[in-house]
Amino acid sequence: MNNTVELKNLHIKAGNTSLVYKTSLIVKEGEIFGLVGESGSGKTLTAKAIINLLPQGLTYTADEIITVGKNMLTASNEEKRDHIGKNVGYIPQNTVFYLHPLIKIKNQIGDGYIQHTHKTKQEALEKAEMLLSKVGFKSPKTILNYYPWQLSGGMRQRCNIAMALMNDPKLIIADEPTTALDTTVQKQVMELFKAINEEMKLSILLISHDLGLVKRYSHSLGVMYAGQIVEAGSASTVFDEPKHPYTQLLIKIIPSLNIKKNEPLTEIPGFVQDKDRDSQGCLFYNRCPKAMDICRVKVREHMKEDHYYRCNLE
Amino acid sequence: MLSYVLDRLKSSLVVLFVVSIITFFVLMIIPGNPAQLILGTDATPEAIAELSSAMGLDKPLYQRYLSWLLDLLKLDMGKSYVYGESVTSLIARSIPVTFSIAIFAMTMAVIIAFLFGMLSAIKKNSIIDYFSRSIMQLGTAIPSFWIGMVLIVYFGVKLKILPVSGFVPIERGFAHFIKSIFLPSLVLAIGEVGTLLRIVRSSMLDSLKQDYMDMARVKGLGWGKIYIKYALRGALTAPLTIIGMQLAKLAGGTTVVETIFALPGLGRLVLTAVEHRDIVLLQGLVMFITSTVVFVTLIVDILVMLFNPRIKSFHQGE
Amino acid sequence: MKKNISLILGIILVFIILGIWVLSFVRMPYNPNEMNISNRFLGPGLDRDHVLGTDNFGRDILSRIMYGSRNVLLVALVSVTLGSLVGIFLGALAAILKGPVEKIIMRIMDGLMAFPGILLAMMLVAVLERGIKGSIAAISIFMVPVFSRLVYSMILDTENLLYIKAAKSYGSSKKQIFFKHYIPAMLPRLITQFSSSMGSAVMIETSLSFLGLGIQPPYASWGLMLSESRQFFLNYPYLAVAPGIAIIITILGFNLIGDGLNDILINRGSNHE
Repeated sequence: MNNTVELKNLHIKAGNTSLVYKTSLIVKEGEIFGLVGESGSGKTLTAKAIINLLPQGLTYTADEIITVGKNMLTASNEEKRDHIGKNVGYIPQNTVFYLHPLIKIKNQIGDGYIQHTHKTKQEALEKAEMLLSKVGFKSPKTILNYYPWQLSGGMRQRCNIAMALMNDPKLIIADEPTTALDTTVQKQVMELFKAINEEMKLSILLISHDLGLVKRYSHSLGVMYAGQIVEAGSASTVFDEPKHPYTQLLIKIIPSLNIKKNEPLTEIPGFVQDKDRDSQGCLFYNRCPKAMDICRVKVREHMKEDHYYRCNLE
Repeated sequence: MLSYVLDRLKSSLVVLFVVSIITFFVLMIIPGNPAQLILGTDATPEAIAELSSAMGLDKPLYQRYLSWLLDLLKLDMGKSYVYGESVTSLIARSIPVTFSIAIFAMTMAVIIAFLFGMLSAIKKNSIIDYFSRSIMQLGTAIPSFWIGMVLIVYFGVKLKILPVSGFVPIERGFAHFIKSIFLPSLVLAIGEVGTLLRIVRSSMLDSLKQDYMDMARVKGLGWGKIYIKYALRGALTAPLTIIGMQLAKLAGGTTVVETIFALPGLGRLVLTAVEHRDIVLLQGLVMFITSTVVFVTLIVDILVMLFNPRIKSFHQGE
Repeated sequence: MKKNISLILGIILVFIILGIWVLSFVRMPYNPNEMNISNRFLGPGLDRDHVLGTDNFGRDILSRIMYGSRNVLLVALVSVTLGSLVGIFLGALAAILKGPVEKIIMRIMDGLMAFPGILLAMMLVAVLERGIKGSIAAISIFMVPVFSRLVYSMILDTENLLYIKAAKSYGSSKKQIFFKHYIPAMLPRLITQFSSSMGSAVMIETSLSFLGLGIQPPYASWGLMLSESRQFFLNYPYLAVAPGIAIIITILGFNLIGDGLNDILINRGSNHE
């Protein structure tokens, strides 16, 4: 079975500060992988590293980054950009600023498509119309003529989804797709993702702080804390038998982790740390109810039948 | 939208009104009787009195202002005492010269500023960036006449490729026309390019930081699309406004360059008028030039508004 | 750190010019107005009597540069000071009194600003006399609108800041508020503008002198020197180099200081938020 994404040991730094450390994950073909964590846990950065979108000023290393079959560590910038453009659809957080405000939808939705398939603008617009109605627009032709700021948040989100699907990608990365939406629209959008995944057999990397959402819609998931994946595995395994104390606590306070960085969780005293994310000890040590002395210095990694967790406990 | 335009038009007219007052009354302070200046030192007092009366110099100030203003609107700006010709025709003859160098200079400045401004923003802190930033600083500090003189020596005399004086109107051949305005326009351009480059660079830097750039990159678009369709498009508002302002400013600031290169434009007329205290000519010139400035500024403001669809639709309801 | 390079470089350049200015009162190599036809058109050279050479009248160029610095700086400093004071006063008046006074003053400023650069100065020089007084008057008037607009908008902005409203609500007297709050908020930008305006003033003065409308002989000015050198420039290019460089250093220096200060302000400003 081909894996859509294979990420091993990602380490992202800003200058001397580590933001993401020792992060590995695998997105299997055709599955929805949920990446969960609080604000500031490094989820977006991890996703961006996979698609070569990290901002300038950050450096990164990894043992392996293979995205839709291409080794991102050895490919040239040109190759990377081309490959990602063809094979990955990116649906960002906060769509407001991601669509160019001075360009009509019809003039920006298809330019990636035209670039990679060398089809004409007319063909691109036809496909765009088709996709726009697929994502739920009743009159796609009107939408195409709008400027992004004339659309509501939910509408923009759906435009982004349609845009991401233009090239029939193998991988979609959806970063907090439901944050800016009201609950009815949220459900629509998530059902849409589910339908796309089942119909087109696309892999989806779903990033969210909403554990409940992830539980409902993903096949596998990974829990990130302070820049590290502390637990990962199939959704059912992780929810039925969470091994990491952090995961256990999170599950207790579903439905949502919509809390800002540095604000403590209601049941977990302390703050997510920004510094020393690359220390060898457990980063959850300060807040863990089951912490032991050894946790400060060393953490054991376990891998049991696709269930991964980093904890000194059994 | 119409009401926005009308509003701006109204402001412009008020400004012009203030300008006319300033122009008229300031120049009235000049001691000496204009009639006497015209007739010369050995004119008889009766002749002076007669001409004064004919010129309406004995009427109260505000009446003279009003009749001057009314004449202006009929495009009658009186007769220059230095040249003995109607001011209107003097100005009309000089317009092509000044406007040619202003427009050509602006074109050069725009090309250089956009080219280097964009490259500088895209490759921040590279050699090109430092080079551009030096242009920015030097451009505004170098006096135009100094550069003018230097260029005359090198291009005009030593290398003999470009003429150093005189204006060749476009009817006599496009190539000659361009050659005759090249150096003076270059000199003017050097003065403007610094400011424009700075604005282009900073607007581009802002635009490049925007999220839509991420989208463009993820889609795997080529350089041209990324930097022009996305980055530049989001960076045009400020530069366009500045270009308008600079063009307007150039309309009135060509005196020095025209003097060095012996071009018979509006600037030279102004100098002559000032040197000889030819009030009539000066009044007409100042009103004309300033009106051009106000008018160009108005057009630019409206264009910028139209250009930005958000602002346009904001005003569309009006 | 990088931004301070502007400031430091600017300060160095201005100091160089100030140094020349000071030296001009202490000791000049020659009498700047002393003509010596037999010595004219001597080229520059570090080992010669006349380090920067002599002009068409045999006058020592270095001395004339030093002598010229006096007038250039005098005109610039006095004009910008006068213009800024008047401008600040009028701008503050408009912002504080509001109503018809505000409208009239700001309309006049708009009108003044509609005159492109040199045109206004030239027009004023036509009316007043040429020479130092005329230049100072013309350039001062030119400076007024910029400062008045600046102060006007700053006062209006500051008025809206919450802490001012708070101060008013617990009854601090108007004067107290003005001095304790407004002035510290406005001072940095005013100083920056002052520096930039110094650069503009020098540029305008030089242009006016070049056109023969500014400083007149027997006084010296760099613009005047350039104009005098025009006739002979083709044969003796060095005649224009020294005054040109002096002008560039001065304007560049003031502009860089203005820019450097501006950068610092922006940084400090954003730290407050």
